[in-house]
Amino acid sequence: MTFERDARTALADGQLRGALRQATTLFGERRRAALATVPDWEGARDRARAIKDETLEHLDRYLEEFAANAERAGACVHWARDAAAACDIIGGIAERRGARTVVKSKSMASEEIHLNAALARRGIEAVETDLGEYIVQLAGETPSHIVVPAIHKTKAQIAALFADKLGIAPSDDVATLAAAARDALRRRFAEADLGISGVNFAVAETGTILILENEGNARMTTSLPHTHVALMGIEKVIPRFADLDVFLQLLPRSGTGQVLTAYQSLITGTKRRAEDEGPEELHIVLLDNGRSRMLASRVTRQALACIRCGACLNACPVYRQIGGHAYGSVYPGPIGAVLSPQLFGLARSAALPYASSLCGACRDVCPVKIDIPALLLHLRAQVVAEGVAVGKGHLRERLAFWIYATVMVRPRLFAWLMRAVRSLRIMPPLGAWTKWRDLRPLAPRSFREQWRAGLGDQRGPDA
Amino acid sequence: MRSGDARREILHAIRTNLESSPPVQSSPSPERRGGQGVRTPEGRGGQEVRIKRFTEQLAAVGAQCTTVRSETEAAAALARILADAGARRVVGSDAPLVQRILAAVGNDIVIDRLERLSRDELFACDAGVTTAQWGIADTGTLVLESARERSRLLSLVPPIHVAVLSVRCICESLGDALARLSVASHAITFITGPSRTSDIELTLVVGVHGPQTVHVLLMEGP
Ligand code: SF4
Repeated sequence: MTFERDARTALADGQLRGALRQATTLFGERRRAALATVPDWEGARDRARAIKDETLEHLDRYLEEFAANAERAGACVHWARDAAAACDIIGGIAERRGARTVVKSKSMASEEIHLNAALARRGIEAVETDLGEYIVQLAGETPSHIVVPAIHKTKAQIAALFADKLGIAPSDDVATLAAAARDALRRRFAEADLGISGVNFAVAETGTILILENEGNARMTTSLPHTHVALMGIEKVIPRFADLDVFLQLLPRSGTGQVLTAYQSLITGTKRRAEDEGPEELHIVLLDNGRSRMLASRVTRQALACIRCGACLNACPVYRQIGGHAYGSVYPGPIGAVLSPQLFGLARSAALPYASSLCGACRDVCPVKIDIPALLLHLRAQVVAEGVAVGKGHLRERLAFWIYATVMVRPRLFAWLMRAVRSLRIMPPLGAWTKWRDLRPLAPRSFREQWRAGLGDQRGPDA
Repeated sequence: MRSGDARREILHAIRTNLESSPPVQSSPSPERRGGQGVRTPEGRGGQEVRIKRFTEQLAAVGAQCTTVRSETEAAAALARILADAGARRVVGSDAPLVQRILAAVGNDIVIDRLERLSRDELFACDAGVTTAQWGIADTGTLVLESARERSRLLSLVPPIHVAVLSVRCICESLGDALARLSVASHAITFITGPSRTSDIELTLVVGVHGPQTVHVLLMEGP
């Protein structure tokens, strides 16, 4: 099972774990501070979820409304049943425009469909322009965090990479490194024939797409080239323009702990007059790729409400230890553990629903109140029902949990067993568990025994 | 047509899957205006309060702000900003106000018009001057509408962006601003402080792709 292997590798990587802890802790703290600036956070979450539920309940209608309004404003709307169809559509547009180079701003959907590889097969170079994504692309790697894709790399590694690929003098100054990337990417922006972006929200009422970012690369991507292609999952649509308000309150605060990201671009069709600035063509690609299937059950449908803020990753004790790569999917962390099996098939990601301690931290931070633990349990049940092989560890694990359950509901059996364990000084065979954790030594007397021996009469244990 | 087929197939898949799960009876239908409950209390204060909050928020997000009372003052302030930054090449938008202010700036500086610039020349500019259609007090945000002015590239490409905003156009909240916008503009841009990234070891760097400096000239007056 690759999840097990990759998680092991990640756990052994001290630098990665340190960086992950730093990032997830920082975002967690900033998020808490940012929530305090919203008078009614719970109300906002409820409203956002209600809007998403309403949209999904009538997704066909809202998609048609969105497509009609976007087309009226001059956009060309394409429908893609799956990844291959989306790659064909975008590759076709690029070829028709004679594009050799395309610039891209961050789009998880494009990673989902492996767009860069598909374009490369047509001889078209796709350049990632978000700084983190650019670093990851130069290094020939994949992102490890939704919001900070290169969180697994130190500045020394990035400096060496830039010295090698961009020919700059080695520097450990972060501003110098960022400036080098800016210069290199400006040349790519100037020559690019096509810009490809993702979409954060698509407004049915007006045909508007909204893109959030901090760097300005998405603005460059969507305003400099002659053609702009926006790729969006069909779940990104929301009914009304005014609905943007609540989502703009929730997304940046949950993701980076900002009140608002530096830029929001609201794009409605193409330019209206010859002297206007911006692309001549706007193509919006609506991607299904397994999403419509998720509508069939109310439990799985929830995952389509996700606004990709990344808060559940930062809150997840499993993610905080192993990072994004171990999940083996573009969608890591708790939300990835529920999305990946549904989008790419249980057989390919059967281990992911188990990559969670079901502690519920993800559900508590989720701005749209997705019940991720419930979803994970639902998917685990499916894994069992469909008899998908999860990995060799799982038979032993099931046996262990069966023994655990049997013992824990029988207090006398438990007490007897613990006394036996203590007097014989045998430790249970927890090699897999203790490899990455320290087991606490057993106390010489159990709490129950201490209690019976007089701890109960107000005196402290040392008195 | 293949595209039409895909459209039909996807819509059909959506409908079939929706039908296979029972509809919710009491889905609390969100209000017509999505964001209402989140907005700050109405009538929290007049223009004075909004201006104060706006300038505080601008500072909090790392933008500069200078209050001016006339076009002459605006030109003087702009000249100082450009001189302090050592800016040599400046481009103004097509807004008449911007053109008037730039004309009064003085002659140490090369002033270009956007429509005469090639892409390379635009990339070589030091500063872009535009107006902003709206400000948002709660967040320190500038709102630029493409139907009103050619400001899309000038507020993005040069390392310095100077935006002229009338105090009368400061809205209280994001929701208020959204309510005033019209999608007659094919591009509406919200700008909150300078371009920024924390992608390398979480260290903040400003000015990665967009401007490093955002300076608001806040116009008081009638
Ligand atoms: S599941 Fe919720 S918390 Fe996680 S990324 Fe999606 S919206 Fe954010």
